[in-house]
Amino acid sequence: MATLESFRPRLRDRAALGGVVPPVSLLLVAGAAGLLVGSLRSEVFAQLTVQGLALGAVYGGLALALVLVYRATHVVNFAQGELAMATTYVAYQLIHWGLSYWEAFFATLAIAFVLGLVLEVALVRPVQHRSVIAAVIVTVGLFILIDGVVNWIWGGDFKYMQSPFGTKVYSVGGVSIARLYPGMLGVVVISVLLVWALFRFTKLGLGMRAAALRPAESALVGVRVDWMLAIGWGLAAVLGAVAGLMAEPSQFVLEPTLMQPILVYAFAAAVLGGLDSPAGAVVGGLAIGVSLNLVVQYVPSISSELQAPFAFAVLVAVLLLKPSGLFGHREVRRV
Amino acid sequence: MAVHRWKLGALLCAVLATAAVASTAAASHSSSTPGVSKKQIVIGGTFPFTGPASLYKTIPAAEQAYYAYVNARGGVFHRKIKDIALDDQYDPSQTVPQTQKLVEQDHVFAVVGSLGTAPILSTWGYLNQRKIPQVLVATGDAFWGNCVHHACDGSTKPWTLGWQPTYPGEAKIYAQYILANKASAKIGVIYQNDAYGKNYLAGLKTGLGSHANQIVDTESYNVGDSAQVIAAHIVALRAHGADTLAIFATPTPTIQSLVAKTLIGWNPLTFVNNVSANRLFELAAASNGADLDGIISTAYLASPTTQANLPGMKLAKSIIHKYAPALDQSLAEGDGNIIYGLAVGWTFVDGLQHAGKNLTRPGLMKALRTMNETKNPFVYPGMSVQTSKKRTFPMEQLKLEKWSGGKTGDWHAFGKIYNGIH
Amino acid sequence: MRQRLPAIVSLLVVGGALAGLPFTLSGYHVGLAAQVGIFFVAVLGLNILTGYTGQISIGHGAFMAIGGYTTAVMSQDHHTNLVLTMLMAFAICFVVGLLVGLPALRLSGVYLALATFALAVSVPQLPLKWSKFLGGRDGVQTSKTVSHLWLYGAAWTASAILFVLAWLILRGRVGRAFRAVRDSEIAAVASGIELPVYKTLAFGISAAYAGVAGSLFVLATNGFAEPSEFGVVLSLQILVGAAVAGLGSLWGVLAGAAFVGLLPAVSSSVPVIGSDHGRDVVFGSAVVLVMLLLPDGFAGLFARVRRFARA
Repeated sequence: MATLESFRPRLRDRAALGGVVPPVSLLLVAGAAGLLVGSLRSEVFAQLTVQGLALGAVYGGLALALVLVYRATHVVNFAQGELAMATTYVAYQLIHWGLSYWEAFFATLAIAFVLGLVLEVALVRPVQHRSVIAAVIVTVGLFILIDGVVNWIWGGDFKYMQSPFGTKVYSVGGVSIARLYPGMLGVVVISVLLVWALFRFTKLGLGMRAAALRPAESALVGVRVDWMLAIGWGLAAVLGAVAGLMAEPSQFVLEPTLMQPILVYAFAAAVLGGLDSPAGAVVGGLAIGVSLNLVVQYVPSISSELQAPFAFAVLVAVLLLKPSGLFGHREVRRV
Repeated sequence: MAVHRWKLGALLCAVLATAAVASTAAASHSSSTPGVSKKQIVIGGTFPFTGPASLYKTIPAAEQAYYAYVNARGGVFHRKIKDIALDDQYDPSQTVPQTQKLVEQDHVFAVVGSLGTAPILSTWGYLNQRKIPQVLVATGDAFWGNCVHHACDGSTKPWTLGWQPTYPGEAKIYAQYILANKASAKIGVIYQNDAYGKNYLAGLKTGLGSHANQIVDTESYNVGDSAQVIAAHIVALRAHGADTLAIFATPTPTIQSLVAKTLIGWNPLTFVNNVSANRLFELAAASNGADLDGIISTAYLASPTTQANLPGMKLAKSIIHKYAPALDQSLAEGDGNIIYGLAVGWTFVDGLQHAGKNLTRPGLMKALRTMNETKNPFVYPGMSVQTSKKRTFPMEQLKLEKWSGGKTGDWHAFGKIYNGIH
Repeated sequence: MRQRLPAIVSLLVVGGALAGLPFTLSGYHVGLAAQVGIFFVAVLGLNILTGYTGQISIGHGAFMAIGGYTTAVMSQDHHTNLVLTMLMAFAICFVVGLLVGLPALRLSGVYLALATFALAVSVPQLPLKWSKFLGGRDGVQTSKTVSHLWLYGAAWTASAILFVLAWLILRGRVGRAFRAVRDSEIAAVASGIELPVYKTLAFGISAAYAGVAGSLFVLATNGFAEPSEFGVVLSLQILVGAAVAGLGSLWGVLAGAAFVGLLPAVSSSVPVIGSDHGRDVVFGSAVVLVMLLLPDGFAGLFARVRRFARA
């Protein structure tokens, strides 16, 4: 008789790094080496790299949220960024009410989890199987709605939160690096690792992977598929909240449009890494964050106006040349 | 089947007819001058209540507080001023429909105080065509003064009038300061990629004259760019060897620039343009770690913090406390935009009084183009708002100011009053 | 002929009502009604692509931008007749649509959604980059501006012409091929339909419609074209309009266009929530509710009402 455990070997490769193809890993190693050498040679290069990695981590965090949702329900959630923005406002409010930053941080994650769960059950489940277009439009409606609600409650003007990493600036080998950037990178990476561990080492995680990838079979062995998918949405909202909370100190202000440019880059990151690959999303985010910073600085014909078009040239190129992304799996096209 | 289509059609017609009747009823106005009745003057304006320039939203609130104060004291010739302030998010594509709404639905007498260069540029053709005053606009571009007599965009714009000192004129003062105090400066400029930013850059270049080649790098950002983009520009300016930084930007990018320069350990001689030299914005930058001491800007309004004992500032405090108590705190912290709003309100009421009892649009324009305000209590002591046939910029005076006191510091004016700025 | 009668009658009713409308409305409301006409053209165009050919696009705001800038630039630099610029917008966007349709051949579903979203985000950045030619944030102003009445007439005349054109295209061989592609690509290929030809053609036609809508859209903002007019939200609005419209019904498209053209303006006067936030709260909830309650959009609702009335 099949048990849930018997799924583990069949799911393993998909959930973890997914059998990274040698050329891709070579590319990554070469890229990292290039960044290191560049950073040692030029202060500007080093500062742009550190900044780019920190923001890339934020893109990666949001991209991972998109990937989790996509794996769970095959929906691309256009409202993921706005959800992250809204939860950042929740944290702002909690701090305003007297909680310390980190108390508010964790309380917000809990609230985000519930919010994600409720949205899946109430709004996405009914349309999920109808069509790609229907699901996309529900998330688009949610995008507009969340934006309106946040503006309604908190107003459109700027709010300021104390930076959780203080204002200290380190000097590393003569290069000034604000504590903010390694701080952002660290928090996002830790969150991602925790989510990975949850999927990899817990029974709940196994159930979620099974429900997402083989719903019919896992239902047979007693997995509550519906609930697993909803929890997937909840976790995605948590990761989004982490991304939002880390995006705020990097923008220095909190405003309702906080996550809109970031969502755009998170899409590019998710596609670059492969829409069904969690590790790919994070690596994609870091790659997009760093390369945007460096390209704009060192390629004269690509000025900052062309950042978004550049990110999307990458996105379309990946879709055309290797639709599964760097780490994803070939999707079997159902026609 | 046919029957039901008929039914739907009939239903649609009925709905449309109802809407039509309702709207014609609402639109039945009969007055020689739109927006002016025996008891009321309706004016309107567009402002960024939300979006990238929303830090300016205290301006319309202060203007409305001033009108409420005037109304409580009997209004102007027994007419109460009703001011409809709409949100355009500092986005010209919103300014256009919002301005249309003011004109065509609310039938305003004049558009007063609308904010932003690009928003004004998108609507001045429309308003001038219809001969509707677009006055005391909250932007200091040279156009508003230059296009009165000679054509801009193919026609003159006699119905548009500015208020604050022009941006190029302001930038020339920074150039003078640099030439006098740091002759060998290597200047880096970050400016907004539109007419507003380019006005400043052009003024700086004119002011530097033959020294314009000391500008080692200029970087432009676009409205709505993220802090990452701004920070990368600051890194680039430093990399080009600049030791002097001019920030010609709206508040948010200014805050982001000030923080970014500190985060990379850079401490150049820094200039911040007047529209971002509101104490609140600098405090916001400081709370994110920006090192502010010694940055330089200009002032033409009295300060609610360092000059709190002036009669004008006491009046400001009492008006705001009575009619816009929500702004009490920001005024106490030094939100200069509140003073700006009060000062503009004062000028508009002054204009109405000079336009006389029989209020018309041409009458208002004539009054505002022949102003001589030496008593506006909200402008910097010793400065005045004046216009004439030859003088098309109402405020042509500025004073330099410098930040000191770190995270809890303030702007302190210094040096002479510069006259004839334009 | 008796079969056609109801359709003709309903067309006449709509046409008559539209022709009479400007005589009863105030200037501002004529402007709103013109806005609905503009969205009618755009939603109709997207319906051909999404509804009939089954390909999603979140990038039609980009085509509207191209159409809008065509009108603004031609009018500013060459004083071209405004109606002529609309025809140029149609032609240019048709070609651009075909070109965009080519890479889109390899994409479907979610991937096509993301790629077209990329288009919507990227195109408005281009005028900022080439600001000498395209005005940057200071925009491009047409040499002539039009009245609300002119705009109303132009928008609904264009709607009528393009509606008839769409009807002619969709009832014939091309329309059958489109529907076959939507229902099953494999079956379509098996029955001899050249997939690449029809898929790119659908993109081209759809983009051309959006181009005309964009051209009108710029005229509606006093002939002022500026990047933020064509932000992502515009693309989302058109998509929402098409989804709300549902499939294959004039009434549906009319309802979809009215939904996105009027609802934000109407709901900005909601008390309690406040004007600007009210707009988003009401519009967002309406979108979600319509999707949950009306799976086939208004077209489906009307069909149900008819069935119910007949029973």
